[in-house]
Amino acid sequence: MEDTELEVSPTPSDQNSPSPSSSPSLSLPSTPSSSCAPPPAATPPLGVISEGVAELSLFIDAEVAQRACQEVLQKVKLQQVEGDVPSQHSGAKPVPNSPPVALTASGKPMKIREQEDDPEGLAPGSVKSARRRQRHNPSKQSWLLRLFESKLFDVSMAISYLHNSKEPGVQAYIGNRLFSFPHEEVDFYLPQLLNMYIHMDEDVGDAIKPYVVHRCRQSISFSLMCAWLLGAYSSDMHISTQRHSRGTKLRKLILSDELKPAGSRAHRDPLTFSLIPFYHGLSPSKRTHQRSKSDATVSISLSSNLKRTASNPKVESSQDEVTDSNSSLDSLEFETVRLAPQREFIKSLMGIGKRLATLPTKEQKTQRLISELSLLNHKLPARVWLPTAAFDHHVVRVPHTQAVVLNSKDKAPYLIYVEVLECDNFETSSVPIRIPENRIRSTRSVENLPDCGMTAEQRAGSFSMVPNYDNDDEAWSVDDIGELQVELPEVHTNSCDNISQFSVDSITSLESKDPVFIAAGDIRRRLSEQLAQAPTTFKRDPEDPSAVALKEPWEEKVRRIREGSPYGHLPNWRLLSVIVKCGDDLRQELLAFQVLQQLKSIWEQERVPLWIKPYKILVLSSDSGMIEPVVNAVSLHQVKKQSQLSLLDYLLQEHGAPTTEAFLSAQRNFVQSCAGYSLICYLLQVKDRHNGNILLDAEGHIIHIDFGFILSSSPKNLGFETSAFKLTTEFVDVMGGPEGDMFNYYKMLMLQGLIAARKHMDRVLQIVEIMQQGSQLPCFHGSSTMRGLKERFHMSLTEEQLQLLIDQLVDGSMRSLTTKLYDGFQYLTNGIM
Amino acid sequence: MSQVEKKAGLLRRTSSSKKPLKEKVVLMYDEIFKEDPAKHNSRFWDELFLMKVNLEYLESKLETVDGEEVQRIQDNINSLFHHCVQALGEEHQIKVVNALQTLCALFRGVHQKNKSASGFDIINMLMGFDKAEQRMKDLMERLDSLLCGDGSESLKSLCLKLLLCLVTVTDNISQNTILEYVMINSIFEAILQILSDVSSRGQHGYDAVVLLALLVNYRKYESVNPYIVKLSIVDDEPTLDGMGMVVHQALTEYNRQYKDKEEENQGGFFSTLTSMVRFNFHSLHLISKYVTNEAILLALYEAVHLNRNFITVLAQSHPEMDIAATPMTPTPTTPTTPLGTTPPSLDMMNNPELPLDPNLLTSNLLITFLKYASIVMQDTKDEHRLNSARLCLIILTCIAEDQYADAFLHDDNMNFRVNLHKMPMRHRKKAVDKNIPSRPLVCAVLDLMVEFIVTHMMKDFPMDLYLRCVQIIHKLLCYQKKCRIRLHYTWRELWSALINLLKFLLSNETTLLAKHNIFHLALLVVNLFNMFITYGDTFLPTSNSYDELYYEIVRMHQVFDNLYCMVLRVSTNTGQWKEAASKVTHALVNVRAIINHFNPKIESYAAVNHISQLSEEQVLEVVRSNYDTLTLKLQDGLDQFERYSEQPKEAAFFKELVRSISLNVRKNVSLNTLSQDVLLKEFSTIS
Repeated sequence: MEDTELEVSPTPSDQNSPSPSSSPSLSLPSTPSSSCAPPPAATPPLGVISEGVAELSLFIDAEVAQRACQEVLQKVKLQQVEGDVPSQHSGAKPVPNSPPVALTASGKPMKIREQEDDPEGLAPGSVKSARRRQRHNPSKQSWLLRLFESKLFDVSMAISYLHNSKEPGVQAYIGNRLFSFPHEEVDFYLPQLLNMYIHMDEDVGDAIKPYVVHRCRQSISFSLMCAWLLGAYSSDMHISTQRHSRGTKLRKLILSDELKPAGSRAHRDPLTFSLIPFYHGLSPSKRTHQRSKSDATVSISLSSNLKRTASNPKVESSQDEVTDSNSSLDSLEFETVRLAPQREFIKSLMGIGKRLATLPTKEQKTQRLISELSLLNHKLPARVWLPTAAFDHHVVRVPHTQAVVLNSKDKAPYLIYVEVLECDNFETSSVPIRIPENRIRSTRSVENLPDCGMTAEQRAGSFSMVPNYDNDDEAWSVDDIGELQVELPEVHTNSCDNISQFSVDSITSLESKDPVFIAAGDIRRRLSEQLAQAPTTFKRDPEDPSAVALKEPWEEKVRRIREGSPYGHLPNWRLLSVIVKCGDDLRQELLAFQVLQQLKSIWEQERVPLWIKPYKILVLSSDSGMIEPVVNAVSLHQVKKQSQLSLLDYLLQEHGAPTTEAFLSAQRNFVQSCAGYSLICYLLQVKDRHNGNILLDAEGHIIHIDFGFILSSSPKNLGFETSAFKLTTEFVDVMGGPEGDMFNYYKMLMLQGLIAARKHMDRVLQIVEIMQQGSQLPCFHGSSTMRGLKERFHMSLTEEQLQLLIDQLVDGSMRSLTTKLYDGFQYLTNGIM
Repeated sequence: MSQVEKKAGLLRRTSSSKKPLKEKVVLMYDEIFKEDPAKHNSRFWDELFLMKVNLEYLESKLETVDGEEVQRIQDNINSLFHHCVQALGEEHQIKVVNALQTLCALFRGVHQKNKSASGFDIINMLMGFDKAEQRMKDLMERLDSLLCGDGSESLKSLCLKLLLCLVTVTDNISQNTILEYVMINSIFEAILQILSDVSSRGQHGYDAVVLLALLVNYRKYESVNPYIVKLSIVDDEPTLDGMGMVVHQALTEYNRQYKDKEEENQGGFFSTLTSMVRFNFHSLHLISKYVTNEAILLALYEAVHLNRNFITVLAQSHPEMDIAATPMTPTPTTPTTPLGTTPPSLDMMNNPELPLDPNLLTSNLLITFLKYASIVMQDTKDEHRLNSARLCLIILTCIAEDQYADAFLHDDNMNFRVNLHKMPMRHRKKAVDKNIPSRPLVCAVLDLMVEFIVTHMMKDFPMDLYLRCVQIIHKLLCYQKKCRIRLHYTWRELWSALINLLKFLLSNETTLLAKHNIFHLALLVVNLFNMFITYGDTFLPTSNSYDELYYEIVRMHQVFDNLYCMVLRVSTNTGQWKEAASKVTHALVNVRAIINHFNPKIESYAAVNHISQLSEEQVLEVVRSNYDTLTLKLQDGLDQFERYSEQPKEAAFFKELVRSISLNVRKNVSLNTLSQDVLLKEFSTIS
């Protein structure tokens, strides 16, 4: 090992110095051959090198690394100017030794043969024709190369070639090319990449690994995401298989945190990244010092229950010692706990789910959930985040009393709300300081006032008439309920108004000075009026605790929780929610999410106004994960149970008369979403479509949830639900009946949607196909899954024939008794209306 | 080390077998009381602390020293004290143990001897007045470092025992002048550290909390007590939680013991079919068996009263696994002492309750406290229990005044089943525990108040407790009114309990008036009704409940009529109650208006419809249809209340309470719990 490393280390400089001079068009074949010729000994198996990378970076001469880095920067600049120059991308990696590794992996000049697995591209379209041209062209090699270098070559195609190509050289090239795609685009295909890494042959794995390792170095969240997915997708294999150990090995490597952020350092501060490992111990900059201090606190607070506030000077001082002694090793400290807080956080959430599952009643589960979460709060804020969120943030608090247990028979999924503070970068921004639960109190104490400037200001207004800052005693006593009216001015003035009215009405002063009279009838009337006014909330039902929580409009909930939170005054405060599932396999959900997302972007690209809402899925293992809840939406079941109205009447009640703008737009939303989901249900064969699995949002959209039964699997194999999708008469009524314009619009949307989807069929198929590899998921049961899916795109039909098909599907679904039957079946078995 | 062990073993054997032969340590003590012991043997002090302490002998020796002798041997005692303090810094743990025990004997013996002596004399005798400050500073610093260090847990325990011994050495803690030095050299931080650490909390938490509660009460009203100041600003959550856990565990243990006993007795009762009277006797007997834990209750009070952050701890849920996490090392236990410094049985912490037990599943300090209060309040005849009940009500008063606590109590998302203990009584069945619904905690508080009101109407009327009880209800209503919280509570039970209370006051007017101002209580009760009548629209849960209020008042109109007659009579006479009674007449104006308005209506309704006895529904109908012609008077200040303040009203109570706690702690502080054997075993493995 040692020898190899030392030999390898000079290669980057050899490698990198000629590369900028080589011309872009020739680069692919020429660079590897030229670079691999001088040091033939320096081409050890890839695995060895990339796993040794952590140590390697320490052996790289600082000067060389700096030079390499400058080159990289230069190239990045170049790239920005020229756009797409593949050869230079291969050099655009901060880990200087990976380009030669990836390119020389084949060990010989590249031969590119015809692509045997090239998908049967039949549809017209620029991408397809490019592929086809390349297929029939005698000089395939250069055509393929041209394709790879062309602007049309995107992640989707890269993934597809990676999957289909048997040629190690192509795979290695694409592995390299991955570096040049934007992170978010590659991230979308992460499940596919990792599944290929686990289940396909070594060459593919070798091509993917450098990219994954590189990204892991850069990002904590990417590391964890990889670790989770690797775990989940390895789980279907036999324990003893060798391939299994490849995925697990990478997972272990990531979790062991050996992929230290050499990359992330470079990312932050490219010019000095190589120096830091050597010098940070001696001269910690102020910035790193601060950061590591806060991180040390996090690690401590997560692992033990040491204090952090000043009220306990003894403990405080001991903690200071800890951090001080750490400050000399600060960066190291930071790295060893890089992944720990988040893993700990996820682990506790899962632990809660497991313990809840052992409790018999909903009520007990709810109580337990609340108390467990309140304990979790003690460990927050920390450098933890919700992976389903779209922005960087730190979790600061879980409003534990708001959490609810969701309806499930034997498992205990639960929904929590999470208060977060948005930040620029959760890895580098400092973790927010803990604010005690009783914010009002602490803002009083002098030392906290500057910290909570916002609160002080906000409160100043409401307190202006109470001079209670005069002395300590008074400041202390403000909290009690005696002074509460100050905090609820509107309530107070209300009653004042009422009373003053009465006093005007009835000044009949019988007794002592100005008695005020009130009519008993008025009190009684006000009581019933106020009770009637109160927003209709669902009645609290211990058997269905989630109904109340979900009914409350999101905005209102956010406002309410924000008011009650000690962090609520901060401008970057946000509320997120997440469903924690423990004991459920979310891999199918993730697959469905990807397909939905893909179709959504296809429809957007083709400008078809179909509406669907893919909700984010986080797979943590083969039996746990998280789901991003759809906000402001209740299930059709809940709608019907609560309102006792038909769907149309409910929409009329919510949005107004049939001719109003509000209703019409709700109706349009309904139709567009219905069309979208009808297609999805047809294409993916989504089953188990009862009203509990279909949500209705505040704008009239329907949203299908729970993709537990898709493709080849259906619930209990009862043979129910033979119709293509769920289209009840109620739905049709909302669209204005089977003769209405909106209903025709619905069918037209479906046709357009299907045509658009067909055009980009490969982008959909590829997602599913790759995930089928090595999978035991029920949705891949049988051998005809892919064929069936492909057939449902009906590539061979003309558009007229397609229209007929749509009509048939719609008619069939409308007439379908099974939908009705299935609803009845659900009502009997699960009580879902 | 092994040598010492052998020596100690030998000594013990000889001392037990041959009586006349004196222990070496006793001979050494004798030497101290004769002349400068180090004169002949320069290693005297070194050797002394290697000997096993004979506490009884040393104490009795100190007690027998008379006036002149004191003068003579004072230097020697000062020297002994000095060397004890020195020995605390020794690395040799045996020496430290012996020094701690010797110090304890010194404090006790000297105080025992000089009960009447001023604090200064005692200080002089122990340490010498000129050196006292330095000696005590050294002592406190050594204790502090022992308590905070990584040393043996037994040593820490002994340190706390010594401190408890020192704090309780006088009956009245405020007369213990030595404590001035404890004020200057604060060990507050050490106590906090013990409470914040899970394992040390498990072992020493109880002693630490009791110590803190006592220290806070040192010259509370006369001077600035730094412990009060410090306790009031603690905001470290784990530490406060730790304190809450200690209280929680102590109260839980009491509740558990009570419940076990109750079940035992019930079994006996049902099998033998003894009479209700016998049953009552049993339950009373049962309560008296467990002396209340006033020390821990005092600690809870001080925390709630002084520290505003502690309120959050009350609501902090404790799932059982938190308790289970407490690592335990073998801790010496003594035979159960009713009250004092023996920590509540530690088994509880070792054996967490079964995770599936629905009743014990989640609890918090407040729930445990309410259960405890429900037990303690059952019988208030005994002085201790009366004090405990009073303290419970005072704590509840503080809680009811706190906005955060109220918010938690009324939180609709936080529902709990609280099994309050109810006194078995002839006229009612024992409530079936299982059917208690899960409700916001304030319902449990109200239940507890209602329960108290209906069960304590007796000749020896606990007026003070009743006043507190009614005030707590009032404070809760004020909160609900201000925040417009419509609690789904069966208010009817409260109304009828209050009306019964008025009835009781009326029928026992003469006996009660001899001792109490019943008009004040009557006024508070009537004003509760006024709250409902005038502000019912802001906090009643349904419109029906407002009708029911009127129904209840009209139904029980006789009580109000009689009350009015009585207060009118007293207020027209001249006498000490004139003023108080006339206030009640004014307060009754709306109740009387309601009665006078609806009674004729109901009668005429009955007459018109030829019904002799109207059903509830019919009366409610009459009420509903006749609101509009009724005019009420708005009374001032119904939603105002007097804030709780300890001084001057409660000062006497707390002084007495602290005195009684001190006596108990002193009686039970058991330095001998750490037998030499245990220590030797422990230390031999350490070194």
